[in-house]
Amino acid sequence: MSHDAATAPSAAIELRGVTKDFPVGLRGLKLRAVDNLTLDVPAGQVFGLLGPNGSGKSTTIKIILGLLEPTIGECRVVGVPSAQVESRRNVGYLPEAPYFYRYLSGAELVRFYARVCGVPRARLDTRVREVLDWVGLTGAAARRVGTYSKGMLQRVGLAQALVHDPRLVILDEPTAGVDPAGSADISQMILRLKSEGRTVLITSHLLAQIEDVCDRIAILDRGKLILEGAVAELVGRRDRQALIVESLPPAELDELRAWLAARGRALESIEQPRARLDEIFLREVARAEQEARP
Amino acid sequence: MSLIAGNTFLEAVRQRLFLFLVVVAAALVGGAQFFQSFDFGPDLGAASLKFLLDFGQGALVFFGSALTITATAQLFFSEIENRTALTLLAKPVWRAEFVLGKFLGVWAVVGVFCTLLTGLLVGLLWLRTGALLAANPGTFLHGGRILLGEVVIVCVLQWLKFGVLAMMTLLIASFSNTNLFSVVMGFFVLVICHLQHIAHHSYAKLTSLPLRLLVETFARLFPDFQLFNLAEQLGKPSGLDATLALRAGAYAFVYIVVFGLLAVFSFRRREI
Ligand SMILES: Nc1ncnc2c1ncn2[C@@H]1O[C@H](COP(=O)(O)OP(=O)(O)O)[C@@H](O)[C@H]1O
Ligand SMILES: [Mg+2]
Repeated sequence: MSHDAATAPSAAIELRGVTKDFPVGLRGLKLRAVDNLTLDVPAGQVFGLLGPNGSGKSTTIKIILGLLEPTIGECRVVGVPSAQVESRRNVGYLPEAPYFYRYLSGAELVRFYARVCGVPRARLDTRVREVLDWVGLTGAAARRVGTYSKGMLQRVGLAQALVHDPRLVILDEPTAGVDPAGSADISQMILRLKSEGRTVLITSHLLAQIEDVCDRIAILDRGKLILEGAVAELVGRRDRQALIVESLPPAELDELRAWLAARGRALESIEQPRARLDEIFLREVARAEQEARP
Repeated sequence: MSLIAGNTFLEAVRQRLFLFLVVVAAALVGGAQFFQSFDFGPDLGAASLKFLLDFGQGALVFFGSALTITATAQLFFSEIENRTALTLLAKPVWRAEFVLGKFLGVWAVVGVFCTLLTGLLVGLLWLRTGALLAANPGTFLHGGRILLGEVVIVCVLQWLKFGVLAMMTLLIASFSNTNLFSVVMGFFVLVICHLQHIAHHSYAKLTSLPLRLLVETFARLFPDFQLFNLAEQLGKPSGLDATLALRAGAYAFVYIVVFGLLAVFSFRRREI
């Protein structure tokens, strides 16, 4: 599932001055969902498109996929204009709150999309099995999609997005409504996709969730781009460090201060580090599962 | 495209969408068998065959039209409303493939329905003919015998007509926002198409030439569904007019192509 990075152009997606108006109401009123957006998504990176609900993330993605036509501006995927079917040949897409043909089983569903994408017949079965395995759905492959839980829907959605081995993977809110264990899995999968040399574009309204996996982010608000850059540059503070030690008695703390003062430095703050709730959740779930096993 | 068609067909089958209609229509044809036993004396054998044929054709036309319109709208909007169209059209799939796939899927569903009903009708006619001949070998001396092959041809013509109807419904669905609107419009168009025949006579009488041309071009937009109704000819000494049947087939084909192009064009601009 790896690709030759040498042939990749520098930008997987180029948006140039994209504006999208939706007509609302009968009086020709317009709602500007995306406002003059210019953005490059570099190849081989994980790019996070962030913003509150209704900020135009999904609309931007639909424009990239050629499902919507921009009112103004243009969009290219690997150099091919989005309006052309050709631009979607190497793209996998997981829609927001995905919903699939309920009357198919997981394997049938992935197989259907594989055939739509033109996976050769000879490789069909192996490919379907491979990709279901990859997302961890092998056990439920024969069940009807209508009986799947939210997390399983996301997984089967990811499987159908990856079945034709695309270079660019677009995930719209992949972690929305999924429990912390499931979203940790999805984060892992995203990192794996990146290590296979793919470009990943994800959107989220939960900043913390994607901070861990993104190389670059862009923040949208009411359709406007308000911030864009590499995560390391945006959040890293190179001039500060945090040390985490066992609790010190006040006397030792004073000693430490004196030690620092002797070197011309000061202790800026002392905090009680708090475990993140999702970490506690993951730890407890893992323990419960271990105990449940014989 | 054939994949989308196959999937559409499968959805209809798994939804048991048309099982209900098949049961109802089959019950009707079976009922015809029952009714005729007291509607006609044994000496009116040929008339009872004609009755059976009309009954079966009626069931086919009525339920087939209802099935075509509702199934087309339903199968189209289930993709749009469940947002499966989003996933599908994000794949390297042409919009035209989507529309034609939907059309072929629906047409196949209707084809299965027509085959079932036709088979049933032919079977009943065959049994009845046999029974009549056994009771009185001279039943058909004065004509009135119905050739089963011609019954099949007449039913195939109905199926072609349903193809035109399905494409028109798809065209309506391609720009409308709701399932209900498409179904209502579909039935509306169906009525117009059945009334075409009467309208033909009235606008031919218009004296002002520009007005007549205007009305006529407008009327041409809607196919004349009466042209497909050749069941009247069965059982007559002259038999089925083959040229008329062929012409109706070609007529259906032309309208399917034209409405198909319009539907693709309209769907291409649709925002998913
Ligand atoms: N088909 C549509 N018609 C009208 N307005 C729409 C349509 N799709 C989205 N919008 C509007 O565009 C804005 C952006 O929506 P969206 O891109 O879905 O936001 P996000 O994905 O960031 O939550 C919202 O205000 C939404 O109401
Ligand atoms: Mg969204």
